[in-house]
Amino acid sequence: MLCRIVNTASRFQAFEIPAECAPLRREVRAFLAEASQAWSGWEVGHSWTGFDREFTREIARRGWIGMTWPTCYGGHQRSPIERYVVIEELLAAGSPVGAHWVADRQSGPLLLRVGTDSQKERFLPAMARGEAAFCIGLSEPGAGSDLASLRSRATHVDGGWRLSGRKIWTTYAQHCDFMIGLFRSGGPAEVDRHRGLSQFLIDLKSSGIEIRPIRDLLGESHFNEITFDEVFLPEDQLIGREGEGWAQVNAELAFERSGPDRYLSSFPLLPLTIDALRATGAPDRLSARRIGESVANMVILREMSLSVLARLEAGETPLQEAALTKVLGTDFEQRLPEVVRELTDAVPAFSLDDRLAAMLGYLTQAAPTFSLRGGTNEIMCGIIARGLGVR
Amino acid sequence: MSGQQDVADLLADQLDRLLAKHVDREALAVIEGGTFPAALWKQVDDLGARSALVPESADGAGLAWRDAEVVMRVLGRHASPVPLGETMIGAALLAAAGLAVPEGPLAIVAAPLTLDAEDRLSGTDSPVAWAPVATWLIVAAERAGRRFVCLVDREDVGLAPVKTYGRTPSAAVRFDAVRAVALAPAGRYVDPLCALATLRSVQIAGSLEAVLPLCVEYANVRQQFGKPIGKFQAIQQLLAELAMQTAAAQVAGMYGCRRIDSGAGWEGVAIAKIRAGAAATSGAAAAHQIFGAIGVTDEHQLHQHTRRLWQWRSEAGSELLWAEKLGASTLAARGASLWPSLVDRPRW
Repeated sequence: MLCRIVNTASRFQAFEIPAECAPLRREVRAFLAEASQAWSGWEVGHSWTGFDREFTREIARRGWIGMTWPTCYGGHQRSPIERYVVIEELLAAGSPVGAHWVADRQSGPLLLRVGTDSQKERFLPAMARGEAAFCIGLSEPGAGSDLASLRSRATHVDGGWRLSGRKIWTTYAQHCDFMIGLFRSGGPAEVDRHRGLSQFLIDLKSSGIEIRPIRDLLGESHFNEITFDEVFLPEDQLIGREGEGWAQVNAELAFERSGPDRYLSSFPLLPLTIDALRATGAPDRLSARRIGESVANMVILREMSLSVLARLEAGETPLQEAALTKVLGTDFEQRLPEVVRELTDAVPAFSLDDRLAAMLGYLTQAAPTFSLRGGTNEIMCGIIARGLGVR
Repeated sequence: MSGQQDVADLLADQLDRLLAKHVDREALAVIEGGTFPAALWKQVDDLGARSALVPESADGAGLAWRDAEVVMRVLGRHASPVPLGETMIGAALLAAAGLAVPEGPLAIVAAPLTLDAEDRLSGTDSPVAWAPVATWLIVAAERAGRRFVCLVDREDVGLAPVKTYGRTPSAAVRFDAVRAVALAPAGRYVDPLCALATLRSVQIAGSLEAVLPLCVEYANVRQQFGKPIGKFQAIQQLLAELAMQTAAAQVAGMYGCRRIDSGAGWEGVAIAKIRAGAAATSGAAAAHQIFGAIGVTDEHQLHQHTRRLWQWRSEAGSELLWAEKLGASTLAARGASLWPSLVDRPRW
């Protein structure tokens, strides 16, 4: 028989954003038309890694952080679809949403799911006001792709926990207020691996924490190395259950991997490239083909992302579909700067008055991180292969 | 709506079982050799799939494209051994123009022809899949800026058989003032090129859906260096690549069908064919790399899918031509209007 029975099918169902969201979309777009005037091409290139507390407070004031959270915790009780509309508009414009991105996407939902009432009351309203910036402490100097080998330790002591060890590649730890970190509270890494890991909510002003920004190839410092030297945490800073950290981290992943931040990071290049090509007179056939491909690619990625959103909203956990979408999406956002090079003869120099050149300068050099952050594409592909039934 | 989906799922399931029973490597080789599988065609036709997309008012099942997508995908999964897809969309085009749907297999001429004042058709197209075995050809033609859908007796048309990558019986067709058996102004409905391009996009998704489990199974079974090759990360990367392209093609095909249902322009069809075409290229390459030399042998079934992938990506407008058309249309407007055009309905 031509078709053998191995179930490898991924499930993507069509989902369209309902028309009721159009006024909200218009509201966001009108706001951004004003706000984006001040952003340089270099800044727009940063997109969700642009850290701007003032912008975040303005977004919060408009009710666009914690949109889906209950109002009793400072949220706005809106649907995940409405949230999607807001964040895709923000990202399409390259907004500097970095000061609330992690809290809104990951830390807030985590606390809602497994946090205690007092944790929710203390942190969620501050996040929703745009006043509590969060980072995520996962990687360590000796534990990158092999995250489960992490060694930073949480020791139960009288009245709380003591943390010791090091975290690295923690985005914006130097600017953030809090970290949600994964520490080993059980047996050693060699024995316990995925067991014995716990998540903690850490005030980055605690004594014993040293944060060292790491300068990157762009001359900027977005990630950090953090040393924990016998840092004391009160008992109630454990998140969820002791030893359940790995499962809790994994439950977030379908959300983290399939959002518009996984295919829109370079999108602001596209409108500028179109204008640059139009300015040359009649665009040639190659340009038309590349632009057409890019548009088609983006539309289908958005369809995939929306399909995952619909299943998440239905209470499912489509990890396989989210992983597929992330790898394809990050491929696309890495490819886009190269498409611009192919079509515009851009020179590797930029001045602030040339918006496209500045944005391209930033994105060309930032693009390597797109397929690293949130799990390298190689690790993603291994996960996908296992999901296909490779033994 | 969900009732329609149930009808489509049932039809797809029946088709899947029928084709699984009768279509294997040997049967496909016979068809590719030029023998029309008349008995199989009769059984497929008896399922009633030809009128899936025909409105209920014209005695069809009245399915939307988004519902019937699963039927076309199943067809692609089994290497499309009969002209069911072409017959389904041909019937839909005829019915939408108010014409009766005849008996017998249909083939689609996607290139636009010209229609003269005496209702005679002129023009050429190649390759037209199934033309050598179809009873009727469905044709789009223009006269003075108006578009018509025409039904043509295949016997009235000049045919020159052509060899194709896919080895589906195909021909170059030539219309020298051929009189149509029936014709009517095309409705607001999709034209033959868009319909065929969408069918091909969905068939590509189906074909990749068949290739993926073959590759997974091979990776689990084939041993080298003392272990299954699927244990190697390099092979896992290829399997993941194939799975990604399969998923993207599936979503692209579904998207194309939905855009046709919405009555929007050709852009949705272009997006589907561009993405599915690219998936065919990358997916076929990954599959062959996984299988190594055995995958390029005649005795292996892989080529019966990959040759069709290479065929279908180029038929009804290649992904490159559609990209050029979509790109030119995108470049006709200011960059600032791109994002709204992508997310604001109803344009796309």
